[in-house]
Amino acid sequence: MLTLTHFLVLAAILFAISVLGIFLNRKNVIVLLMAIELMLLAVNFNFIAFSHYLSDTAGQIFVFFILTVAAAESAIGLAILVVLFRNLNTINVEDLGSLKG
Amino acid sequence: MNWADLNLMPAAPELFLFSAVSVLLLLDLFVSDAKRGITYVLSLAILAVAAVLQLAVAEPYAIHTFSNTFVSDPLSTLVKLAMYATTFAVLVYSRQYCADRGIFKGEYFTLSLFALAGMNIMVSASHFLSLYMGLELLSLCLYALIALQRDSVPATESAMKYFVLGALASGLLLYGMSMVYGATGSLELAAVAKSIGAGSANQVLLVFGLVFIVAGLAFKLGAVPFHMWVPDVYQGSPTAVALMIGAAPKLAAFVFVLRFLVQGLGPLVADWQGMLAIVAVLSMAIGNITAIAQTNIKRMLAYSTISHMGFLLLGLIAGNADGYSAALFYTVVYVLMSLVGFGILLALSRAGFDCETLDDLKGLNQRNSWYALLMLLAMFSMAGIPPLLGFFAKFAVIMSVVNIGLVWLAVFAVVMSLIGAFYYLRVVKCIYFDDAVDTAPIVVRGDMKLLLSVNAVALLVLGAVPERLVALCVEAMKQSLTVL
Amino acid sequence: MSFQTVVFYVLSAILIFASFRVITAKNPVHAALYLVLAFFTSAGHWLLLQAEFLAIALVLVYVGAVMVLFLFVVMMLDINFEKLREGFWRHFPLAGTVGLIMVAEMALILMSPEASLDQFKAAAPLAADASNVKELGRQIYTTYLLPFELAAFVLLVAIIAAIGLTQRQRKDTKFIDPAVQVKVRRDDRVRIVKMDAEKRAVADTDVVSEEQQA
Repeated sequence: MLTLTHFLVLAAILFAISVLGIFLNRKNVIVLLMAIELMLLAVNFNFIAFSHYLSDTAGQIFVFFILTVAAAESAIGLAILVVLFRNLNTINVEDLGSLKG
Repeated sequence: MNWADLNLMPAAPELFLFSAVSVLLLLDLFVSDAKRGITYVLSLAILAVAAVLQLAVAEPYAIHTFSNTFVSDPLSTLVKLAMYATTFAVLVYSRQYCADRGIFKGEYFTLSLFALAGMNIMVSASHFLSLYMGLELLSLCLYALIALQRDSVPATESAMKYFVLGALASGLLLYGMSMVYGATGSLELAAVAKSIGAGSANQVLLVFGLVFIVAGLAFKLGAVPFHMWVPDVYQGSPTAVALMIGAAPKLAAFVFVLRFLVQGLGPLVADWQGMLAIVAVLSMAIGNITAIAQTNIKRMLAYSTISHMGFLLLGLIAGNADGYSAALFYTVVYVLMSLVGFGILLALSRAGFDCETLDDLKGLNQRNSWYALLMLLAMFSMAGIPPLLGFFAKFAVIMSVVNIGLVWLAVFAVVMSLIGAFYYLRVVKCIYFDDAVDTAPIVVRGDMKLLLSVNAVALLVLGAVPERLVALCVEAMKQSLTVL
Repeated sequence: MSFQTVVFYVLSAILIFASFRVITAKNPVHAALYLVLAFFTSAGHWLLLQAEFLAIALVLVYVGAVMVLFLFVVMMLDINFEKLREGFWRHFPLAGTVGLIMVAEMALILMSPEASLDQFKAAAPLAADASNVKELGRQIYTTYLLPFELAAFVLLVAIIAAIGLTQRQRKDTKFIDPAVQVKVRRDDRVRIVKMDAEKRAVADTDVVSEEQQA
């Protein structure tokens, strides 16, 4: 029998992996963006699981909007990444040294 | 939902704003670079019309529409009017600066106005979904605005940092929202509050979610320990965009927090009060102490913002209508002050030169005593020296925590504002007692000079009658928050 | 164990493995492909939860569009990935431990009897002809009209921003505008400077004459 706990724990594991990814790949912006996508996936899992176990469609509709926003967000993130790469020829966050303190 | 029941009137200003900006986007395609002034004038006209519409549809009570996803109440009306005025001033102040740096483009105006529309939605949301969509509309516009100066390395760097941390904050906030949804079974602020109040919500999930929500909100406000992005973004962005980030979005973020924590999670006040108190104490301490070590004035203003966010949270910690009104008053005053501070930096910048360090301000009094006086007003007001407006704002929030018996917090806030006074006075010392390093003539457009003067003098004049402004905030708050 | 439970565990194992590889893969192209796998597997999970429309949308929008965008950018930018991964494994033990503790804590909270998640009962299976798409569509266009319009503006902003940031006038094009050329006047090109006639210094003439002799 599948319970809500199954899905919430799975989402929590995904969330933790994405946080881990953000800390480990601090240098590598493109993997950082992927880790953020994973985090949103974990959130979507929560909403859909609750939506199913509450028999309420509002959660699914929220996920629909999160997917839309996430797509727009990654488009802008990648655009900034491209501009940054043109300026610096690197995406290494440690080379981003002009702002310190 | 029946189409005939759809009442569009309360949302008329937003609907106008969205359609007018879309038209502006199209019109701008036919405007040559030399005539970009047309787009600028049209943007200002859009703001003026939206403000008039806002006044026309304002009602002294809350009206819900769009199936309870949108609410128009006195609080939202007041804050939206303040945001129109702020954005108007930001556009006027940044005109010459942007023109000198090649970002006086159609995108600059459309993105700024879409950001404003997003803020309007944040302020008027009564549903988690509209809160989230408004927030993202604002954030996406801001990320792009920072990076708009494409050939500037610091600007693109800070855009990247802002983007990554902003997305992380949204993720935390969403995780928290999903837990609250699970606990209460609803996404509507009023229904969430009702379910928690009735005790039918799952307490474990609720508190678990609350932690993530407070962390996400602190990130967005730029409060310690989630403040790392603020100094880098302020310093790296073009000054005009830094002004934009530091002004109207703070108002929107304040109402956003208020709607989230007070209107949605109000019954959990005992839980979030403690968390906010830690955040406020850390923000006031780290903001003020780190600001002393800064020589870059934009960075110094960033740390000062962090400390101001700490003061603002004091009003929320009070957990009553007086406290919330004091916090609203504080936010409005803070926005007025930071407009002047950044406005002067914009006025002193010119093509190929950004006024950024304390050295650039030295001897300002010799170069132009009027701007020196305006900067003096802004700095004294930020430091909280009577009889300027900033003093009354600090006084109001500190009184609100004294009233609930948190005297230690009030004493701590007073000590921190004394420490903070040091670096504001250092700026004043540079302006009046040091010799000028930079001696180029200061050329400022007439409209900007007028508006900047009015803006700065308002700090002094309104300081003489703070009760009027306070009464306005109290009235708006009382009529809008029925949960109290 | 019911069939659904078996499917859940198999999909979960794949999902956790894939998302772990996303953050540890050496090559970002591999990371992006593992992310595709993670999204695809999640779509399977969502089908178990009777969210058919979202499962389809996830595959279409994410696997179909967003991940292709990611792959484009990874391949377009010439990045030295080896350098980016310096110190990755050095930090891994600490970060991994923190991650494990985080999972354990979150799982303990969610699985504790006090959370009483058992009170949430699974929804009754929908009738065979019930349409998830129809139900979502009905609500999106009525109750959630405002967020739907906002989503449209979010996408518009993304378009403006992406074009505004990345479109650029190429420096190496030799494009000329005839209208500008025709409009040119003499004063735009030639500047006449008034100055006194130069007197040749004596020393200079000596040098020149020496050079001529050489």
